[in-house]
Amino acid sequence: MPNRTLAKPAILALFIVITIIGAWEIHLRNQGDQISYDDGGPLWSNNRAMVYEPADKSTVFLGSSRMKYDLDIATWEKITRKHAIQLAAEGTSPLPVLEDLAGDPKFKGKVVMDVMEPLLFSGGAVGIPERIEGFIKYYHNQTPAQLASFQVNHLLESQLVFLDKDFLSLSAKMDEWMIPDRPGIMPNMLFPLDFSLTMFDRQMFMTPRFVADTNLQKQVQNIWATMLAGAQKAPPPKEDPLPGVLERIKKAVDLIRSRGGEVVFIRPPSSGPFRDGENHGFPRAIFYDRLLSYTQCKGYHYMDDPVTNHFICLEWSHLKPVDAVIYTKELTSILPESYTH
Amino acid sequence: MVFNSYIFIAFFIVVLILHNLPFSWKVKKINLLIASYIFYAAWNPPFILLLWLSTVVDYFVGRALYHQNNIHKRKLLLVVSLFGNLGMLCFFKYGNFALDNFVALTNSLGINFHPARPSIILPAGISFYTFTTLCYTIDMYKKKSEPVKKFLDFALFVTFFPHLVAGPIVRPPQLVPQFENPHKATRKQFMEGLFLLSLGLFMKVVLADSMLSASANAVFNSTDKLPALDAWIGVLAFSGQIFFDFAGYSTCAIGVASCLGFVLPQNFLYPYAAVGFSDFWRRWHITLSAWLRDYLYIPLGGNRNGKFRTYINLMITMLLGGLWHGANWTFVVWGGLHGFYLWVEKAIADVRKDQVRPIATTPSEQVGILGAVPETFKPKTFRNFILAICTFFLINVTWVFFRSSTFSKAGDLLRSMFGLVKDATPLLPTLSIYKIVIIITTMLIAHWLMRNRKVTELAYRLPWWLTGIAWSAMLVMLILSQESSSSFIYFQF
Repeated sequence: MPNRTLAKPAILALFIVITIIGAWEIHLRNQGDQISYDDGGPLWSNNRAMVYEPADKSTVFLGSSRMKYDLDIATWEKITRKHAIQLAAEGTSPLPVLEDLAGDPKFKGKVVMDVMEPLLFSGGAVGIPERIEGFIKYYHNQTPAQLASFQVNHLLESQLVFLDKDFLSLSAKMDEWMIPDRPGIMPNMLFPLDFSLTMFDRQMFMTPRFVADTNLQKQVQNIWATMLAGAQKAPPPKEDPLPGVLERIKKAVDLIRSRGGEVVFIRPPSSGPFRDGENHGFPRAIFYDRLLSYTQCKGYHYMDDPVTNHFICLEWSHLKPVDAVIYTKELTSILPESYTH
Repeated sequence: MVFNSYIFIAFFIVVLILHNLPFSWKVKKINLLIASYIFYAAWNPPFILLLWLSTVVDYFVGRALYHQNNIHKRKLLLVVSLFGNLGMLCFFKYGNFALDNFVALTNSLGINFHPARPSIILPAGISFYTFTTLCYTIDMYKKKSEPVKKFLDFALFVTFFPHLVAGPIVRPPQLVPQFENPHKATRKQFMEGLFLLSLGLFMKVVLADSMLSASANAVFNSTDKLPALDAWIGVLAFSGQIFFDFAGYSTCAIGVASCLGFVLPQNFLYPYAAVGFSDFWRRWHITLSAWLRDYLYIPLGGNRNGKFRTYINLMITMLLGGLWHGANWTFVVWGGLHGFYLWVEKAIADVRKDQVRPIATTPSEQVGILGAVPETFKPKTFRNFILAICTFFLINVTWVFFRSSTFSKAGDLLRSMFGLVKDATPLLPTLSIYKIVIIITTMLIAHWLMRNRKVTELAYRLPWWLTGIAWSAMLVMLILSQESSSSFIYFQF
């Protein structure tokens, strides 16, 4: 067929693609879905590159998902007039990031690090350590092409709701089919979309729909319950990881301090079975208090503060946006002046 | 820069616009050359110096080789080129591997030697462009073709961005003549190029990355004992992933070149429809197997020095072909296993006295190490289908060594595949198993049905609206999969 071209199929394909993608975008917007950014290595690296800002104009936040929900970046920046650089990552210990910053001679800033005991003190046995290790590796090996692609991605993601890899990609939608698995398979953790939206500054938040819907909250609670049950069944580690973890944290903190930087720890709120499990498995005196005394750092435990000790986390682990604002305001009043003035 | 990134789309649009503006052909070639350097520098700008060095040295050495009549000087020039190209490849790709093996050897002899491991970054595509430039100087030494007249044409031949980092591995006669005269895509070429680019991205992004890679990674990275089902599904997932990833890249490369008006050689021809292993190597990474045949197997003596030497030459070629893929003994074993399969196949052919036609007379350039496909393997009969399934089964066994980082892991996985482990823990969710079974089955059927045809022929043969619907389905899934910017597996080679 020497004279035929694929022009007609191309025009038809273009028409169908625009129609389907356009209809999908309109449908998502009509049901109230919001813009959310892919919080992978590129976005994390974008924030990681900001840690060299002057120490009196910025603060770096490390930790797990609690830091991403509980710190309200807009409130922090409005009150302190300092840039909040969010480097926390869900389901991970912040220790590799602290060590990365400590090993970077150019970093001389201030750090606030959250303490989520199971993640921090288990030495990588709990959570998804490869996630944060992947982010750090991505930052250090980022190519000019990846940097440029990130800018184009940002432009598209800021305009299109359907670009949400975690919840609206082909794979994510297929995961919702919930086909029964064989016994012994780790169940797929399907968080509801309304539970985890991410802004460009890596602020995570739950939507008003999630805050109002106890079924959605129950869905997340069930995931935590499954994880807690799994943790209880797991065999104890052959070697106590605590001394090693404390030593690594102290070494990193000392290095940052030696360059004029500062590190403080915060223990954000948790509720229900999550808090009970943490208190039981990681008693404060043995873990949190020992961390502060061993590193000679200041720490701020939510239970020590009358404004924060009554917070209820809807799904046991993270604050709703309204409480995050109150918690952040309280942080700005209790953290050392060097952080807030 | 990778084809499956937004930045490439922006880059490619700019290149297309510049290529279609009314500039002189020389200016257009300079534009393409600059674009190719930007494409390459987008990974790691300093490594562009290596590319320049390779280009300059081989251009001038190639010319000198062709015009030099003194045999000693010619050999010296060839050594300079081989030393430069292979030395660079050995240093960057095999430096740490050689050091590790040397340390292991000295330690096994009781010598306590523990040097610091140098931090060597592998420049993207070095294995590919080294082979591209090597074939030029070897051809010049043998006076198989004329030297490239203009440096600009040679630089563009080496650097042309569609093939630069992961092939197809091109020969000067395939590409240089296209740079000598003005080339601009016809409407037909342009549309075919866009179709192939869409297909290649669909294969890479949707099938390899979105559907198969997670399960393949889970199985190959697992430290648990796996049931046979999970082990097999993981290996099948990898067999699909590596095909869709690499063939997807080649399809994109051919499509991108076509949009600019250039033709690149075909690199894959439905390899999982291969009937036997010589057929497989005519269909898998065709430009590499042709390169190994012409620049390694035949110079070693090929089949000209008796049966015994033929078998030895075949094994040497496959072992080195394995090592080309990566600095690890697992790749050598992968190549060795293919060499062994080819031995067995050749032995059977020798006993049966199958007639194998000379390579040069193969009409569709389906070249491989052993020559053309025996006529008995060509028809789409049920017998050949069963043979193709058997070939696919045995190829899956080789992928275990290709993907595993250590022999210990490969051994564990093989034991799992053949049901030799007890107390195994299931790993893969049912959904993943369904996805892999459906994709691999569809892939095998499509390869079988298409084994003697080109995909663009099918696109023309179908009613235009059906081609349009199929094209749009690929694009919609491509957009919805949201898997951008992940690297292609063959970049590490």
